[in-house]
Amino acid sequence: MQRLLQVCSRVSLGVACLVGLCHAQDFQVPAAAVSAGDEADISTTGSGKATFYLIGPGVSRKSEVNLGESIRLQAQDTRTAGEYLASVCSSSCRSAGFYVNAAKPASLTSLVHPSRVPVAQPDAVSGVALPFDQFHNLVLHPLTVNFQLSAGNALLLSRSVPTQNGAAWFRALSGKSAGLLQVTAAVDDLSARRAVQQVASDPCNLRITGQRTKVGISVQTEPVRDCAGNSVPDGTIVTFTATTANGKSSVDAPIKRGVAQAQMLASGAASISAASGVVMGNEVRVGAQP
Amino acid sequence: MRTSNCRARFWNLCSIAVLALCLGVSPNLHAADSAVQVQLDFKKASPRAVEELTERAILRDYRFAWTSIAQALEFNTLDPLEGPFAGDAKRWLKQSVVSQQQAGLNQKYVDQTHRVEAVFYAPEGDVMELHDTAEYQLQISDGGKVIHDEHAVVHYVVLMTPAADRWVIRLLQAVPQF
Repeated sequence: MQRLLQVCSRVSLGVACLVGLCHAQDFQVPAAAVSAGDEADISTTGSGKATFYLIGPGVSRKSEVNLGESIRLQAQDTRTAGEYLASVCSSSCRSAGFYVNAAKPASLTSLVHPSRVPVAQPDAVSGVALPFDQFHNLVLHPLTVNFQLSAGNALLLSRSVPTQNGAAWFRALSGKSAGLLQVTAAVDDLSARRAVQQVASDPCNLRITGQRTKVGISVQTEPVRDCAGNSVPDGTIVTFTATTANGKSSVDAPIKRGVAQAQMLASGAASISAASGVVMGNEVRVGAQP
Repeated sequence: MRTSNCRARFWNLCSIAVLALCLGVSPNLHAADSAVQVQLDFKKASPRAVEELTERAILRDYRFAWTSIAQALEFNTLDPLEGPFAGDAKRWLKQSVVSQQQAGLNQKYVDQTHRVEAVFYAPEGDVMELHDTAEYQLQISDGGKVIHDEHAVVHYVVLMTPAADRWVIRLLQAVPQF
């Protein structure tokens, strides 16, 4: 009797196909979003052979399946987060879509700027952190990123920032001392470290001394420091200007070992000034050659 | 007389050939490009405001990227993916093309409309996140036979970063909703 029913069913399906009413069998894609890299099943009903298609980011798969059996999606099929389309074709095709979401965070991408920054500058250091899963999908559900800025053993800043649309960011004042600034972004046990070189800011209280020599005037600065007491880097240019009765002459001298010095040719009385960047120093007067 | 007729015929043939080339080649490129409509809204971009030149570059490069996706997946060719993509977006798009070639499938994106909103622009301008509500007619064919044809509305989260001469897509991730 059962055999008779099966034959009748097939015959009626065949007749239906002949009159154009043939449909593919039903199938069920995962109702909830699949986590990236997880296996999943697509259930089908009916009997007979069909062609199964899976089309998604990085995947275009075609295979023969038996209706009534589950179709197994392997872990490598669902590695990339996004929208997937499953299609089952027998006499006609039926399709359904489902989503694959990012898995749990496995790495943090951290961008920190700039790589070199003067000390004590407002909003001078900024950073962005983006959490990704092990398949490099952006994790979009909110996570808390802890940003920490430290110099040496001193913690300069600690800030917890929730991700919005998969990104968290901060902006901060640079530290007071020249040296390496460590910027750490962390989510639970994941962390990413970046380093920013903090350098002295503009010179502060530029002071010079001068004395007459046999060949002219020797001028030099005191150790050049910024307002926080950091030594201004060697190579920074200090411009010495001598004003005499005959006019003005200038010499550019780079800072070496913390000081800049120059020899100026002036036989008469001269007043010497110095400048570095936008900072002016004191002025010294040197008498005429005896 | 005979020589001048030959010359005239030669130049006519040349003109026809040039015309045929123009008709045969440029409409496709133009159609492929003009078929992608992109509306961009930068008002919500933060923490950095988007510069006017950057707005124009993003519009140009995002539109070109989708033209390239459509070409790559329709004709199963990797070349269009070389310029506008980088990183993981480029990797999976290439995988899509290769697996389509193997399975004998292709996808056609027709009448694309993208309503794009910039939601994040990094303080130093080195990464921008876009939310794109894309609408298109998606046709999937197996050996020329259409197996799926639908009007799709898909939400994409996009990360773009500046490269040497353009903005490139590094991440293109479809999500159920924003």
